[in-house]
Amino acid sequence: MKPINSKSKDIFNTLDKKRNVKADSLHEQLKKHGINFATGVPCGVLCHIIDNLLNDSDILHVKSNRESEAVGIAAGAYLSGKHPVIYMQNSGLFASSNDIASLLIPYSMPIFFIVTYRGCEGEDAIQHLITGGATEKLLKSFGMNFVVHVNQNINDLIDEIFCQMKRNYLPGVLLLKRGWNS
Amino acid sequence: MKRKEAIEAIFSVIGNSDITVSTTGLISREIFTKFDSSKNIYVPGSMGLASSIGLSLALCNHERRVIVIDGDASLLMNFGSMVTIGAYKPTNLIHVVLDNGAYGSCSEEKTLSSSANFAKIAKNVCYSKAIIIYSSDHLIKTISNEDKGPIFIQVKIDLGGRRDFSRPLDLVGIKKRFMKFLLNNKEITK
Repeated sequence: MKPINSKSKDIFNTLDKKRNVKADSLHEQLKKHGINFATGVPCGVLCHIIDNLLNDSDILHVKSNRESEAVGIAAGAYLSGKHPVIYMQNSGLFASSNDIASLLIPYSMPIFFIVTYRGCEGEDAIQHLITGGATEKLLKSFGMNFVVHVNQNINDLIDEIFCQMKRNYLPGVLLLKRGWNS
Repeated sequence: MKRKEAIEAIFSVIGNSDITVSTTGLISREIFTKFDSSKNIYVPGSMGLASSIGLSLALCNHERRVIVIDGDASLLMNFGSMVTIGAYKPTNLIHVVLDNGAYGSCSEEKTLSSSANFAKIAKNVCYSKAIIIYSSDHLIKTISNEDKGPIFIQVKIDLGGRRDFSRPLDLVGIKKRFMKFLLNNKEITK
């Protein structure tokens, strides 16, 4: 494992409740695309995004215990004409992979996911390494739309994913690494 | 009571504006074969998620009753969903569990449901009402009552029954007609 810089480590070792400009801008972009329903399982890397979703009265937020459950909750919202977002860590993407493959994809539900990309370069937690190495392969093998945020403009990436989802009616994933909003 | 009798009892009292979500395997296949309609959603894969789909359908469609038709094995597979339903308390949700104590759609291997009192658990996680039912008359009466939900109905059924049902295959078609039913009618009621 490569060592990570101390700033990145701080994300987990401190509780950051301050507002974040990039997360606020991402939130506005989600709303521009009609997002009005949220569910998922928290990840520290997404804390500002989740906070914004929780505090927005235009968004119906339903908490879930497991990522599979979140997939089911989002599917019911989609069928009701809502535009859901699901948030989770990539560990949960594997936990819910059969639900994505056997519910969302065969029913053609283009649901938007925000997923933390753990287990990539700089990871300090051993439990994430295998899923980290397999994340993009999993999404590719499912034929899903996904983008990895490196240093691009996140709002442009969101536009790109929504454009793909509208075209092929498959779920779309935005993968965010630690430090994405610093 | 047989699975057939329980399903027929439920569908004999489904109202015009009610919608249903049914779980994986023979339960969905029997409903699809006998009672297919634009008001049904089937969960052929993603075992256990019928109650989660039903929860958000209920939260997004207050004016309709949502009837989830679950099994004991699929309930156990997504057991946390009962806590979520109890927490959000959709008053228009009826959660029916057809409990034959087995993975009936596999080879009837026993589940662990016999040692658990689902109805008691449902009460403890804040469903408004939880009941165990042994007869189709009682099931019909319970669903006909307009009690405030979420209501949990554990229906004790026998193992066995027909297995040669067709499978819902055109899921995109099923989705489209379901959404059309929900959204068109929503526009009318607005």
